[in-house]
Amino acid sequence: MSDRFENDLRDHLHREAEETRELPRRLRGRIREGIMPRHRTALVPQLALAGALVVVAVAVVVFRSPQLVINDVRTTITKVFTSPTPAPTPQPFICQDVAGGSTGITTQLTAVRVASHESEGYDRIVFDFSGGIPSYDLTRQPSATFIRDPSGQQIQLDGSDGIKLVLRDTDAAAGIPGGSKPALPAVREVAQVGNFERVVTYGIGLSSSQCLRVSSLASPSRLVVDVATVPSTSTTAAPTPLPTVPEATALPGFACQDQAGGSNSGGPMQLTFIRIAHQAAGYDRIVFEFAAPAGTTPHLSAYTVSRQASAHFVRDPSGQAVTMRGSDGLRIVFHGFAGFLHPHRRADRSDQAGDRYPDALTDPLPRLWEGRVGVARLVTPAAG
Amino acid sequence: MGMLMDPALGRVIERCRDGDRDAFEEVVDRYGLQLLRTARLILRDEALAEDAIQETFLKAWQRIRSLRDEDPGPWLTRIAMNESISSYRRRHRFQALTERFGRLSTAKVQSSSEARLDLAQALDQLTVEQRAAVALHYYRDLSVEDAASALRIPVDTLKSRLKTALRRLRDLTGSEDTTA
Repeated sequence: MSDRFENDLRDHLHREAEETRELPRRLRGRIREGIMPRHRTALVPQLALAGALVVVAVAVVVFRSPQLVINDVRTTITKVFTSPTPAPTPQPFICQDVAGGSTGITTQLTAVRVASHESEGYDRIVFDFSGGIPSYDLTRQPSATFIRDPSGQQIQLDGSDGIKLVLRDTDAAAGIPGGSKPALPAVREVAQVGNFERVVTYGIGLSSSQCLRVSSLASPSRLVVDVATVPSTSTTAAPTPLPTVPEATALPGFACQDQAGGSNSGGPMQLTFIRIAHQAAGYDRIVFEFAAPAGTTPHLSAYTVSRQASAHFVRDPSGQAVTMRGSDGLRIVFHGFAGFLHPHRRADRSDQAGDRYPDALTDPLPRLWEGRVGVARLVTPAAG
Repeated sequence: MGMLMDPALGRVIERCRDGDRDAFEEVVDRYGLQLLRTARLILRDEALAEDAIQETFLKAWQRIRSLRDEDPGPWLTRIAMNESISSYRRRHRFQALTERFGRLSTAKVQSSSEARLDLAQALDQLTVEQRAAVALHYYRDLSVEDAASALRIPVDTLKSRLKTALRRLRDLTGSEDTTA
């Protein structure tokens, strides 16, 4: 039987334990990094190359004096270990969205640089990181208008076309300029349009629709985005289109851009239902239903819809990476939000006829947190 | 005998066995905080506790295929206890040596008559094995059988550690035994 001392001990242990309020993100990141497959480091091929060069250098001993050979070997080894990181193998410019980087790492963006390489036919933007290169999406768009994250406000950059870069699990170091207007042949303006919950977003205003070449460098980690200065003549130059299909009556046309709308005026709304269904007209529809709590003027909550060239998302607020099925994605964020009205979402059976997403609304459900909900949904092109 | 898993958790573990790292992160989310808190109580050091829990999950990931149809909680707790006690011993190897030979150890509080400590300070004075027994039984509310299983020691040894730990805590804090 427990006595008072044991009860006090029990209470004390619980109080002391609860001083640790959550699993620290740094620990989560270390675990995530630890379970990732190991890559061979760049040092291994360098050592192999050094060894080979030493053998070659020694082999010439029959032709030269011993002292000369020693000097050669020394010079060769010095060159191998002091030469800068080799430039990335030139890749062709491509006229498509690009995604890459590593999930499960925690990194910090430390610098952004823009420079003209006009003689070589491109402008270069370099993003420096203190850790590895994080998971990223580069999405081309036919305008230089971007949506700020998380405010949802529009920002118009210089240029007629644009590229949106989304960096996940990334902090922006203090002192990074919010933007610059280099007014280069291709890159007209670069601006940070989002830095929210470890997702850093950059908008890049372009003079016209240009193709990209993306590469990475190590020590320090750098993401290099080259933008061709010659406007693309490729047939795939346009940003990856969503399906252009017959439009519903009284609905706007399909757009290949991020969108924002709604309003925060009139009090917080409550999300009541989410439905998803395939429409015979040739598209899939996700419907978010809202209700106005008593005393609130009915309106649509402020929202942003961001397209991305991957199905990787970051959970809010845990920061945990989530990979959904598919190759592309939509991130839909509602702001000024009172919460989810019902614990269980109701399925509208008539609207679910032909539903091809039996688990689309399962695990990555809307996460309510401090009056805001982040909903991540993957949309795949509908069958025509 | 291990507890049976609920079906949803079973599916997560199944995905882990197939190498799904996202599924494993769900396991980390589910058990990580409780394991970290337990390790923190035992090790009395935040950084050391984080290291132990990191190692716990990395080992769990490597051995996930050995987990059968049982709740991963006790399995993870066993790994975490082993990692916690091992890391403490590694960190305090010299201190453990001095304690064994007695004369060099001067940091310990010798008796309740010399100082009355609060519970936190008194817990610092226990051995890591005693704190592990106390944390599992009084914080995690594990039975003596389950706590002994988590520490891979006989039940009688666990009971003995608990008894010794309680006596020392009472002594250090100046509390009296009021067991009815």
